[in-house]
Amino acid sequence: MATTTAAPRETKGTGTKASPSGMKDQGLTSGQAHEFAVILPLKPGGGQRMRDRLKESVTAGTKSLDKMATLHDLRFVLFDNDTRVLFASTYDGSFEQYIKDFATLVPDLIDNEFQECEGYPGVRSPEIWEYIALYQNEAIVFYSAYPDVTVRQVLKGQRVLKAFEQLLDEASS
Amino acid sequence: MEALSAPTILANAVPALDVSDIQATVLRPRPSPYKGEYFIVRIDDAAQGREMLRRLIPHVAPADDWWVPTLPGWLAVAFTFQGLKALGVPQTSLDSFPQEFREGMAARASILNDVGNNAPGNWEYPFGTSDMHVAIAVYAKDEPSLETVLELARQSHQDLPGTSVVYRLKFSELPGGRNPFGFKDGLHNPHVEGSGEHIHPGYGPAIKPGEFVMGYPDELGETATSPEPEVLRRNGTFLAFRKFHTRVAAFRRYLREQASSPEEEELIAAKMVGRWRSGAPLVLAPQRDDANLGGDLGRNNAFNYEEDMKGLKCPFSAHIRRVNPRDALKNEIVAINLHHFLRRGTNYGPPLPEGALEDDGEERGGVFLLIGAHLKQQFEFVQSQWVTNGDFINHGTEQDPIIGNSQGDGTFTIPKLPVRRRLHGLPQFVEVRGGEYCFMPGLRALKWLAEMPAEAE
Repeated sequence: MATTTAAPRETKGTGTKASPSGMKDQGLTSGQAHEFAVILPLKPGGGQRMRDRLKESVTAGTKSLDKMATLHDLRFVLFDNDTRVLFASTYDGSFEQYIKDFATLVPDLIDNEFQECEGYPGVRSPEIWEYIALYQNEAIVFYSAYPDVTVRQVLKGQRVLKAFEQLLDEASS
Repeated sequence: MEALSAPTILANAVPALDVSDIQATVLRPRPSPYKGEYFIVRIDDAAQGREMLRRLIPHVAPADDWWVPTLPGWLAVAFTFQGLKALGVPQTSLDSFPQEFREGMAARASILNDVGNNAPGNWEYPFGTSDMHVAIAVYAKDEPSLETVLELARQSHQDLPGTSVVYRLKFSELPGGRNPFGFKDGLHNPHVEGSGEHIHPGYGPAIKPGEFVMGYPDELGETATSPEPEVLRRNGTFLAFRKFHTRVAAFRRYLREQASSPEEEELIAAKMVGRWRSGAPLVLAPQRDDANLGGDLGRNNAFNYEEDMKGLKCPFSAHIRRVNPRDALKNEIVAINLHHFLRRGTNYGPPLPEGALEDDGEERGGVFLLIGAHLKQQFEFVQSQWVTNGDFINHGTEQDPIIGNSQGDGTFTIPKLPVRRRLHGLPQFVEVRGGEYCFMPGLRALKWLAEMPAEAE
């Protein structure tokens, strides 16, 4: 049963120190699934550059995202005449624990996505968590159809189902 | 962005470690055999607490003379956040310590999966309370030496009414250097660059010392800038103190239920641990124990998982493969070098008699000091992601078969051809009796703490 749970902690701006766990303090959860959204200002002309860049890098980026295996989905939405961008995603609980690994191993992927944002310090900068905390916006509602299932479990389920269907096909032919 | 190799390491020349200022426990394995005692002191008077510290300092072992044979024994000393407060450490300094240390281990229970039997509410006093201030470990080679050092420790505080010993636990090596389950353990530790320790084959690549001791560059090329002041943090580190009770009879009974022969019992047990009782690793000895291999420091770590990527020899879920994955996760986006810590384990209590399947009511188990400069990225990461979760190995919520906490309803997956075997209803074999995060300063920092001006009160 999918449930929507309000985050029990205080929201941003209350002086809690920003850190990777800052993400946990905000953002709603449903089972082990978390939502994360930031609304970021863009540099002048940054909107168009972002469109071009992300279109080009989509294949290479997807490969790394697949390997992270903790992100269910993500989207970039440009609005206000390309002056701001919404980044929204759903991730598994363990994603937060691995942020430093991602920042260490695929920093260029992350920087490539966010470099047109005004004031973006770079994912390797110690200021990154403050920056995220400044712009993170908690959802008012968050629904997941499969709140206890991780990305890896979805992918594994798909593989098993495919093999099972194949078995049935072979048995009935 | 496709490069998933080790993190970029800045090309700074790494200074050799200042081993005369780092506590021996951080860098050196305990001797074998060993006798010792942990005790925990509460400080009700800051000036007396500092006086106790002044008297203790001459007996605290630095890492450069760990093996001096004339020494009857030696001390290691560490402080909880409450302890630093009780000693009168200035507020600005207290505030500069990392969040998890300031909160204490009990407050991190949901992250660490310390729930059910392991919940802090069930811990022994003074764990999880604000009465745990100074943790002292006394190590010696035999009972008379231990008594000599304990007497020195007693003299440091017995005439100081503002200090009280609130906890004592004796520890000693079990026959054959085995743990209470009957396995040789403590066989592997990461290789700390510049520590001067003897490195055996299979210890892995040298890890930057800043991962384990503050004052040196870590794997990201960063040198710690907190806690303040510099004199306090230099050559210091953090540790997670964990006291475990081992349910040996439950372990033996479970093996008996799942196996149809004594040989199969041993195989299932080895699959859970990742090593046979002798310490021989499954990857090198997949069929049966090999005592020569187990006892050979030149060979018992000389393996990785490259040849066993399907887990047919050592299961993905085996204890040693979870807590120290070596190269097993090399195809994932995991910066493995950010998740090491040093393990200093000791055992307490008598062994359960050979063959006994019923619990005798004795308290027995291990106390572990899990040491590293980044508690959150190291101990907390390994405990929350690799010990108490299975998603990283595609095992859903399956936990570590030995030290996991599935509250009596665990599973354990053994890869096998043509079909894997999965054990169900795993009881809890290890219960957490208590734990706390401690700061283990260098020797100069200990002197700084002991000599803090009285105005700090």
